[in-house]
Amino acid sequence: MLNILLKEIKLSASPLAFLFIAFGLMFLLPGYPVLCSAFFVTLGLFQSFQYAREANDTVFSALLPIAKKDVVKGRFLFTCFIELSGFVLMAVCAVLRMTVFVSAAPYVNNALMNANLFALAGALVIFALFNLIFVCGFYKTAYKLGKPFVTYIIAAFLTVGVFEAAHHVPGLEAVNAFGTERFGLQLITLAAGMAVYAGGTALAYAGACARFEKIDL
Amino acid sequence: MSIVEVRGLTKKYPSFELKAASFDVEKGRITGFIGRNGAGKSTTIKSMLNLVHPDGGTVCYFGKPLTGNETEAKKRVGYSTGAVNWYQRKKIRDIVNVVKRFYDTWDEAAYRKYLELFGLDETKTPLELSEGMKVKFNLLIALSHKAEVLILDEPTSGLDPFSRNELLDVFTELKKDGVAVFFSTHIISDIEKCADDIVYISKGKIIAAMPQADFIARHSAPGETLEETMLRLEKE
Repeated sequence: MLNILLKEIKLSASPLAFLFIAFGLMFLLPGYPVLCSAFFVTLGLFQSFQYAREANDTVFSALLPIAKKDVVKGRFLFTCFIELSGFVLMAVCAVLRMTVFVSAAPYVNNALMNANLFALAGALVIFALFNLIFVCGFYKTAYKLGKPFVTYIIAAFLTVGVFEAAHHVPGLEAVNAFGTERFGLQLITLAAGMAVYAGGTALAYAGACARFEKIDL
Repeated sequence: MSIVEVRGLTKKYPSFELKAASFDVEKGRITGFIGRNGAGKSTTIKSMLNLVHPDGGTVCYFGKPLTGNETEAKKRVGYSTGAVNWYQRKKIRDIVNVVKRFYDTWDEAAYRKYLELFGLDETKTPLELSEGMKVKFNLLIALSHKAEVLILDEPTSGLDPFSRNELLDVFTELKKDGVAVFFSTHIISDIEKCADDIVYISKGKIIAAMPQADFIARHSAPGETLEETMLRLEKE
């Protein structure tokens, strides 16, 4: 498992995938839809898929002494590695906003969604959508990137919109809590986001393996 | 002793059908897989490696079916689609450093030996290699993990006569070490030069799978070269 992940990191990955992890820092931006940072992290991953395809990675991987499903496993391991690295950075930023900068004027007067545990849950939902729609969709052909990526973009920005709008809905104001206010509720939403990410990724992996197995290379 | 046993391999495409291909690849022998363009050579080879899904039939490596033993079989097989067409801009050294981690049998001394023998520079990228050197790079990887059988899809296509000759000499040397070489080609003189056995495919059907001497005895008219025999058989 480690070998196939190293293969992804050393050969298949675009440097942009690593660089775009830094977009996790956008969780510090006031007056900006913070969930876009999750989308930008996945944009780096998209570059990696494109780079690997142009490098004919599928044929290369077929040369290796691994089963076909392990080719898919390698790509998922790498995808999750980048997503979770981005998530850790977002989490650090969110914790800073919830503690050190909780009273900072730019954040208090922020018209948009607050960077709290609910926002982190939103980032995980966007990552789950990337894995389900784009990664699993890509393995239908192991070649065509456009259609699954455009579908993912639409789903991702609709999700950003829904999360941004949530606290304006009467009764849901609490999801925009500052600091440790309504901490129990924040934790529940984060746990739900984690469950969506884990379940969505597992489902995407199983679907991608089944699809890739059927492809004649 | 059969290292690879192919039995009743079938694959149907809308415009082509591989019809129940059966043959063996023997240890320490060179098997030439010959047929004209579009005869089904690549489909057969890819089916032998689970790169395409056969509709029927079985492939066994070292007495075990490929299905269920894919990883184990692949560790003992060297496979090449001819020239290297992947990671064109990565250095050979970087590619090899990744590949070797997958093989318990990787032999660094053998790698250095063949690197020198083939005149490959590991600081170069595949893009900087000639077609012949790309084939040798593929062979370098296969030989460094001590592959017991090499399955090569048209390794001599696109090579100049000198490089082809060199490559066929390498096959002959490997044969002496007990390695089985199975290579497809549409160049009949390659077969004449080094193949012990012939598998002849035409329009998706295996016409003959036997030692070259038997093939000539059975199919060639007196005084006819192998090339003339093949051309006549294709016309028939």
